[in-house]
Amino acid sequence: MARAKAEQQQPATGMTLIVLVGLAIAFLLFMAFLNVVKSGNLFNETNLLFATLIFYAGAGALYLGFGVTGTESYVKFASLATWLGLIANTAAVAHRWYEAGHAPFSSVYEMLLSFVWTLAVLTLVAEKKYGVKVIGTVTMPVAIVGVVLMQLLRTDVHPLVPALQSTWLHVHVALAMLAYAACALSFALAMMFLIQDNLKTETFLAVTSASTLAIYTGIVLTRFEKWGGLGLVAWDPERKSEVFLSRGVRLFVTIPDLGWLMTLTLLVVASPLVFYGLARWKNNDSFLMLANRAVFLSILLQVMALVMFMVRARDGRYPSLDADGLFPTSLAASPFILSGLVGGVFVSLLYLLLLWRRPDLERLLPSADNLDRITYKTISLAFPLLTLMIAAGAYWANQTWGSYWSWDPKETWAAITWLVYALYLHMRVTRGWRGRRAAYFAIIGFAVVMFTFFGVTYLLPGLHAYA
Amino acid sequence: MAVNLPTLAHKTWRTIASIQTGVVLLILVVILSAVGTIVLQRPATEPDEMQSAYSPQALRILDAVGLTDVFHAWWFLGLMLLVSLCITAASIDRFPNSWRYFSRPYKYPDEGFRRNSHPQKSLAIADEESGLVAAERALHSLGFKPERVVREDHFGIFAERHRISELAVYIVHASLLLIFLGTIVDGLWGWRGYLSLNEGQTSHIVELRDGTTRTLPFAIRCDAAGQENYTDGTPKKWWSKLAVVEGGRDIQKKEIVVNDPLLYSGVRFYQSSYGPNGKVDKLMLVASPSNGSGEKKEIGLAVNDTVSLDADTTVRFAEFFPDFAVRDGQVYKKSNQLGSPAAHLVVTSKKAGKDFDVWFPALDEVADNSKSPWQFQATDLKMGHYTGLQVSHEPGQWGVWSGVVLLGVGLAFVFYVVHMRFWAVPVCNPKTGKCSLWIGGSANRNRDAFEQRFNDLVALVEAELKLIPRISRSDQVATVAGN
Repeated sequence: MARAKAEQQQPATGMTLIVLVGLAIAFLLFMAFLNVVKSGNLFNETNLLFATLIFYAGAGALYLGFGVTGTESYVKFASLATWLGLIANTAAVAHRWYEAGHAPFSSVYEMLLSFVWTLAVLTLVAEKKYGVKVIGTVTMPVAIVGVVLMQLLRTDVHPLVPALQSTWLHVHVALAMLAYAACALSFALAMMFLIQDNLKTETFLAVTSASTLAIYTGIVLTRFEKWGGLGLVAWDPERKSEVFLSRGVRLFVTIPDLGWLMTLTLLVVASPLVFYGLARWKNNDSFLMLANRAVFLSILLQVMALVMFMVRARDGRYPSLDADGLFPTSLAASPFILSGLVGGVFVSLLYLLLLWRRPDLERLLPSADNLDRITYKTISLAFPLLTLMIAAGAYWANQTWGSYWSWDPKETWAAITWLVYALYLHMRVTRGWRGRRAAYFAIIGFAVVMFTFFGVTYLLPGLHAYA
Repeated sequence: MAVNLPTLAHKTWRTIASIQTGVVLLILVVILSAVGTIVLQRPATEPDEMQSAYSPQALRILDAVGLTDVFHAWWFLGLMLLVSLCITAASIDRFPNSWRYFSRPYKYPDEGFRRNSHPQKSLAIADEESGLVAAERALHSLGFKPERVVREDHFGIFAERHRISELAVYIVHASLLLIFLGTIVDGLWGWRGYLSLNEGQTSHIVELRDGTTRTLPFAIRCDAAGQENYTDGTPKKWWSKLAVVEGGRDIQKKEIVVNDPLLYSGVRFYQSSYGPNGKVDKLMLVASPSNGSGEKKEIGLAVNDTVSLDADTTVRFAEFFPDFAVRDGQVYKKSNQLGSPAAHLVVTSKKAGKDFDVWFPALDEVADNSKSPWQFQATDLKMGHYTGLQVSHEPGQWGVWSGVVLLGVGLAFVFYVVHMRFWAVPVCNPKTGKCSLWIGGSANRNRDAFEQRFNDLVALVEAELKLIPRISRSDQVATVAGN
């Protein structure tokens, strides 16, 4: 009873909305800054992408606003914004295609462009065909992250190197984009299922906070340097490897002030757990509301920490405590910190999503059973696509490298993704896994997909150098 | 020992065939593969890099356990074999049941089945025959081929579609085994190597990955190789004109490019790299007499070529340095890469009875360019190139590709081909004499869509029932007797 009361009070307060709007504004300012730096004429790809971003961000914000306030008209406008964003996105894809002279499949930037496009299309399909009106609440943030990442990546058009001049490139990447977008959709549906399925949010709060706390504690304990710096491994851009002082001993550089930011984030991230503890101890649910507020704040700080980390670790040279001179570093030199930061934001956002469970939202969503079934349907679409994608890749590799399987990290992780979904299907068919457990599986599957897509490219070396 | 062997064997079999074992094995594969992408792997990473990345102790442990070459470690291979065994066992264990289901379709639903089946519907009918006919007509119009089932004194209608879908999962499993089989054949009998050829060179010896060589029963000659660039200087295309030579004859010729290899007797040659081999193909020169009296001549020289310039003088291309250094009045080769090249010509004059060393560039320590009776201007340096070819022999890849095709077909059946069954049974109450037509259906997947179809069928049967005039009891008996 007490829990239900806390949940009814929780959303719809002005506070949450203001925090969200603040997030959006900070976000747009950051993007605008990036665009000023780039400069260019009016109707170029950058501006088209910017338009895409604004519309998607608008759609995302409206879906979020709907999630918070339950105002149904928001959904209509959100859908409209998605359409507009899709038009701008299509124009950006077409522009890129025309300029490069080949389908936008040949670099991470181009693939993100196609991925975001496919995701928007599938979102609209899910909305129109299956009536999952609020699916954009999950897919739009994913699309927004994609467009933001594009701003950080190299955008120059490269002609296709000989290995990429193959029909199989298009088959392979098109299948990959479709499969990954279907996975993203199944993830979104699984989230909707969890919202609809009356999952107990406190446990999730504790788990989320504990894991983000562990991430930041780990970072601060191991990497906090004197005077508030953050120690990172130095990177040799020429050799594309970490810098070593001697065997097995890496050279660390110190990025000033970042250590303080991490410590501050650590404190804020710890606060929801403290409030949760208090709520359990005093048996007082008002602490849970405080905990939820603290989660909002922690997301804000986590995003800031992530952005600052990415901006500062990407460029610039920093001093080291162990050697004289300035040394460059790179995101690739600190894979675990980067994945930790991204993972922290990710799980916190998942929790945020669960908080939006409200009677009016539940009314708009298909029933839990139906969501479960549609999730299964999207995975039964994604799985054959993944299979064909891997097969096309293997065939192409056989024509280019003389071997259909060489266990390079991208291949291996594609196989891992395939196995995770194969496990899902087996558990579902033979053990009758339905509902919540199946939803967790769909979420894990999508996390693995994201790692295969981004993580492997940036964190693990291999033959798939172009993507 | 008092172990009951048959029981033990049975237990082992049950363990291997169980889904739990399969899941545990798959999770192990996932974890170990992930480890294999995070720990630097041996043949791909240079030994220096390995040594700088890990401390000696750590490296020793990683090497001993096999974590530096996960995908070729015996335990990984063993794990894959266990997975294959598990797939095989699970399939064999479950197949008889499915086969029974497939080979002896359940055509007449008994009372117990009728009670629990879903979806189902009962329609009031005048008599048995009209119900049967209506069901038959309705099924026909939906594109089914209904059959009449006779069980002692009962009649029924049965119709089905895509029975093969019940076996689809075995197609998938078999295709995976076929792929594994192909890779095992490749692992045992296949090999991969590298062959580097200069333009014009013929070779039949391939360097294998493990450092050994392999002699081919035929030879490969590179007639020409080249690179085309985009305007920004990035490579657009590498090509090599290759010829297969066997018994002194050219058997086959092909220009290969990246993505388009040459295949001859199971061995594939892939374009993999291209570059200067440090050897000069031809040095192009313009020669003019020092006294300015004679005509200019354009000549092209390969190393060791001699050309006479006039009756008295000859020039020989004596030496070429792709990357030179001068020390103590001597010219040395610094490397084989084309860096700062130097060419050494020897001009011999019979009249003077003397050799002149002409150098490009004119190196003060060794050159007497100005004393030579002919002056030279280098116009072009044509370098020789090598083409690097990946060579592979994969006798098992047919297993792999047929497995992949089968896998695609199998998955399409698993996910998108539904085994649908419909039954219609007239049931009469002996006391009241009233009859009804029981209609049931079942689908092995996508049940919500199937229910829609079922409702369509029921509506059709109802419509047909209205059209059928009452058939008398005696007519019906006659029909059956006639059959």
